[in-house]
Amino acid sequence: MSERRERSLPLGEAAAGDTPVELVSEFAAVSLVVDRDGNGPRLRIEDLKTGQVGFLDPLELETLAWLPEGALHRFLDPSFHRWREERERG
Amino acid sequence: MTPTTVPADSAAWDALIEPDRVHGSLYTDPAIFDAEMERIWYRTWVYVGHESEVPQPNDYVVKSIGPQPIIMSRDKQGEIHLLLNRCTHRANLVCDAAKGNSSAFRCPYHGWTFSNTGKLLGYPFNSGYGGTEEKRNLGLGRVARVASYQGFVFGSFAEEGPTLEEHLGGATDAFDRLVELSPTGKLDISAGWLQHEAKANWKMLVENETDGYHPQFVHASIFSVAKSGIGDLYGEKSTAVSRDLGGGHTENDLRPEFRRIDEPMGWFGTTADRLPEYVEHLQAARGPERAREIMIDGAPHVMVYPNLFIAEIQLFVIQPLAVDRTVQHVTAIQYEGEPQLNRRMLQQTIGSVGPAGLLLADDTEMYERNQRGVHARTPEWLVLKRGTHRERRDGDGFTIGDATDEVPQRAIWRHYRELMEAGDGDGAVAPPAVPTANGSVR
Amino acid sequence: MSATAATATAAAELLREVEQFLYREARLADEHEYDAWEALWADEAIYWVPANGDDIDPTRQMSVIFDNRSRISTRIKQLHTGKRHAQTPPSALRRLITNVELLDPDPEHPDDVAVGSNFLVYESRERGVTLWAGRYEHRLTRTPEGELRIAYKKVRIVGNDRPLHTLAFLI
Repeated sequence: MSERRERSLPLGEAAAGDTPVELVSEFAAVSLVVDRDGNGPRLRIEDLKTGQVGFLDPLELETLAWLPEGALHRFLDPSFHRWREERERG
Repeated sequence: MTPTTVPADSAAWDALIEPDRVHGSLYTDPAIFDAEMERIWYRTWVYVGHESEVPQPNDYVVKSIGPQPIIMSRDKQGEIHLLLNRCTHRANLVCDAAKGNSSAFRCPYHGWTFSNTGKLLGYPFNSGYGGTEEKRNLGLGRVARVASYQGFVFGSFAEEGPTLEEHLGGATDAFDRLVELSPTGKLDISAGWLQHEAKANWKMLVENETDGYHPQFVHASIFSVAKSGIGDLYGEKSTAVSRDLGGGHTENDLRPEFRRIDEPMGWFGTTADRLPEYVEHLQAARGPERAREIMIDGAPHVMVYPNLFIAEIQLFVIQPLAVDRTVQHVTAIQYEGEPQLNRRMLQQTIGSVGPAGLLLADDTEMYERNQRGVHARTPEWLVLKRGTHRERRDGDGFTIGDATDEVPQRAIWRHYRELMEAGDGDGAVAPPAVPTANGSVR
Repeated sequence: MSATAATATAAAELLREVEQFLYREARLADEHEYDAWEALWADEAIYWVPANGDDIDPTRQMSVIFDNRSRISTRIKQLHTGKRHAQTPPSALRRLITNVELLDPDPEHPDDVAVGSNFLVYESRERGVTLWAGRYEHRLTRTPEGELRIAYKKVRIVGNDRPLHTLAFLI
């Protein structure tokens, strides 16, 4: 599998994409790496504080690049998903 | 000094501030300090930071207005915001790092999350708070007005009052001159800040910045061993002038001396042939004739009241923390795209300023000795009489004096009294009087 | 004596020599023996006290001190004038140097001795008492006669990203 990847991609590009990059601010710490286990590449994001992992494919990433100002605000709301009360009373 | 109460009327201020002397208790009385915060620091325009400190969208830096913790952020659209670094929930500091890049800030205490424009985006487990109406009123505190001039960002806690340009008045010229020295017209304030703490009242620092009387004495040691010509600029024979720019802004204008000496880049203690890249860029940007004038006149030495001192190649920002505790922040000015000149300006600045600076350590020693002395019971006054008999108007109508005269100090105190006498009020302060070309004051 | 034992003895002797050198430098600084202190420096040298972290680029960022040999000399001459007000009168000083440790040599200067140590300076003057703590990193070179000289001294002050009082003595 890895041999096939090396043939299909310029070596430098593959090496760079497979090296994890850590992005850290005072609010968050994530590790980014290109994941090639699927049929196409995707970005693997690991929350270094909890080990939570998420993936973004090229179309999702392209969408992010086109996001209008404030479009991520509802996802940044801690109650949106991560710290949601289980016993929501509606 | 005996603690006083803050004067309630003009007659009571007469007992503390006269045109040419001031009472020592103004430097030692905590009640006066508290009133200064309300009437000067939380009302007028105060310098906060430079646009180049947040160059990219979502950049932020932690700043201050006196004791107030401020976040200066640039949002995704490029607009700059001044927010109070205080969670609206339980008052925790939201940002810890000195700088960073983030579209949102998450408080470490309970996870409340704010956009970098100050809006509350949410808190964990939101059903505990009922409806969402409350969220709208729980954004980060804001400095009411934000404006910038030539890239210098100021904030005012007063909802209304003079515009920034009205506030700067005669001092706008200093900013114009400073950016004209940069071939691109832009400054790059990216060298980081030293923080130099003084056990002294903030006004000691403000008054010293444009005191042309002290360099020959306080800095004699370094002028003699470095064979510097700076001492002569402030000598008895100097043609330099001290100037009252109005609004508490003051200047030591060294241009008359530099023009007499007529050496391009002499103001920076060098010659044009030592900085060929810079000279070439400046000539291309401004034309050879104007470039030569700019290189003769050099950079301004102006104290912008109450807290920004443009000292030729450095910026100083004065931060009062208590009646006898002040931090002076200082950095080297860098011009966009001029590495050759910038390196020299940085090295000269490091040598001169900060806790170990060959110049500033001695100034700070003086502030601290003054602060000890001003507690003495008698005499109770500090004297600002120097040059009262030779004050005059320049062609622009500004009051000037000789290089060593105390024109700036009298101007600072006159403005101080106006601000303090205006009381706590509603924040509306008249713009400073701007002299007109014929010498009258509007 | 085996080769290993000989190496260990040489290392112990070097450590002892370096410690004595650091203690001598500390005493001369504490007692304001400016010329004797300056004589400990090599002809080319850097004296660096960074700010806002320990690993900044001093050619692009502000430092508390970033002296080349010539500026060290200027600093000493200024102290000698008697009009360096921030050291008139000089601070009363005593410093402790501990945790002296020989470090791996700088690859660019393999023959020089790299040494790290911790310090605590007690300073008393009119302003009050100030404690300065931190770490020294010295690179020591040898004269043709074999004497140690300071080619590089970095002073990592604890809290160099926060406000500092005037620091006009030789740290």
